[in-house]
Amino acid sequence: MAKKLHLKRLLFSIAALADLGQEATSTKDLSEKMKAALYIITGMFSVPTAALFVHNRQRGMLDLIVEKGYREINREGIHLSVQAEHIKSFRMNDPHAAGEFPKIVFFKQNSVIFTKLQTKIFLPFFAKGELIGAISLGRKLGGAPYRQGEKNVLKVIAQQMAITLSNAQLFRELARKAAENRRLYRNMQRIYNDTIQAFAAAIDAKDGYTKDHSYRVASYAVAIAKELGWKKKDVEGIYVAGLLHDIGKIIIATKVIKKGEKLSAVELSEIQRHPRISYDILSKIKFPWKNIDNLVRHHHERVDGKGYPDALRSGELSEGVKILALADAFDAMTTDRPYRDKMSIDEAFREVMKCCGTQFDDKITKVFFGLIRRELDGEVCDRQILHHLECNEASPVAVSGFAYQQMDGSGNT
Amino acid sequence: MSNFSLSSRSVKDVAVITPRGYINDIGAVRLEQESGQYLDNGLKKLVVDFSDVQFINTIGLSIFLSIVQNTQDHGSQLCFTNMKKDHLEIFEIAGLIGHVKVFKDENAAFTYLNGRTPDGKKTASQTTAV
Repeated sequence: MAKKLHLKRLLFSIAALADLGQEATSTKDLSEKMKAALYIITGMFSVPTAALFVHNRQRGMLDLIVEKGYREINREGIHLSVQAEHIKSFRMNDPHAAGEFPKIVFFKQNSVIFTKLQTKIFLPFFAKGELIGAISLGRKLGGAPYRQGEKNVLKVIAQQMAITLSNAQLFRELARKAAENRRLYRNMQRIYNDTIQAFAAAIDAKDGYTKDHSYRVASYAVAIAKELGWKKKDVEGIYVAGLLHDIGKIIIATKVIKKGEKLSAVELSEIQRHPRISYDILSKIKFPWKNIDNLVRHHHERVDGKGYPDALRSGELSEGVKILALADAFDAMTTDRPYRDKMSIDEAFREVMKCCGTQFDDKITKVFFGLIRRELDGEVCDRQILHHLECNEASPVAVSGFAYQQMDGSGNT
Repeated sequence: MSNFSLSSRSVKDVAVITPRGYINDIGAVRLEQESGQYLDNGLKKLVVDFSDVQFINTIGLSIFLSIVQNTQDHGSQLCFTNMKKDHLEIFEIAGLIGHVKVFKDENAAFTYLNGRTPDGKKTASQTTAV
């Protein structure tokens, strides 16, 4: 009979350890896990009161994180002071019975708390030689002493608890580092963006006529790319390419850029160097976005192959290049230049329509006009194109019926 | 997902708590809280009906341990009814059985506590402990 009960107790302990293992590997948050662990342990040993502590190395404390069975206990106020010499006096993953307490400094120094918790067993747990936490177990229901077999089971529990808590601490540390990395990345991204904006401003400042040109080209390009359903990362890329597409002009003589008359062949050749120079500058930078250097190199290419610097044809040009080419040309048309006044909006639309299929890509032009038409019709709240046009106009942008018809897709685009 | 639910009622000065399903998850702590509320409100007699309890593990045992301790602290009486063989066995191994009165059914528990069945009928005075 006694043998049968012993066997049942053994099976009961094994089942309880399995429960503990299941809780340890569950996806619950740490405090839920620890609460469940404490309930399993108290259930195993029929102990109504228990408390679980986690080692806080910085403060040299064992902080109470979960307790069970105490009425009116202030968890915040329960800390066990634990110094390096105290830790040395612990037997690793081995329970200390209340009878030993008067002989050990740690228990004497924290006797007020141990009295409050009515501790009969103190179980410190260690992982890789480091104190991770501890459990205080109170008196068993009925007051029976803890048997040696139970103390042996407590040693197994200590190991399991140490691994669970240690893993949780590692995960928490990893999560903290990941959050810190994200914060640093965001800061870096902001600095990066600010630097790019500063470069764009420097490019545009070279010529008073082209003030904010890079910013508008970038904005138009983003609007078209979004309309085409580009991914967020690629949209960011074309924005940066838009901001930096004319960076090569920094090398070009200011007198050529600002010249108010027709350029000579030499001057024209000089100014047409800027996409290649832009490429040379930007290809040395490792951007987090793809093909920035190629986008800027080809922003003066045409779909009919008559552009520069490489005279590529439509099939050799990426969608991004085609977007940038249209955005750049459209802004050039709608702003004053040293050699000509800006076109009216209507004239610019007509010009784009006329050049569709030769200078500009069909699909990109249609998307661009479709977007403007929706902005004119008030179908989009954020007027990404018209907003910039209106900044230079005394009155709201209006287009002729003809242009509107073309934009509607019924015209000859 | 926790497969645990709970209902309770008070019949005059006796609280009857009926847990259902698996008592193997920390969510079943509601059982401890429910009984604690009755005791804090001054009820001195508690009956826990195990009819619909399918499984109890060590977490469940710990919850009952708290109920036993709490009942003792309040100087109240605690009866368990309709326990299956598995329930009795786990309580026996944990040494809890000596701290509660176990009865075949609710009527027997009420007879022990009040000398009456839940519907008020007087019964014989002997208890039917299992």
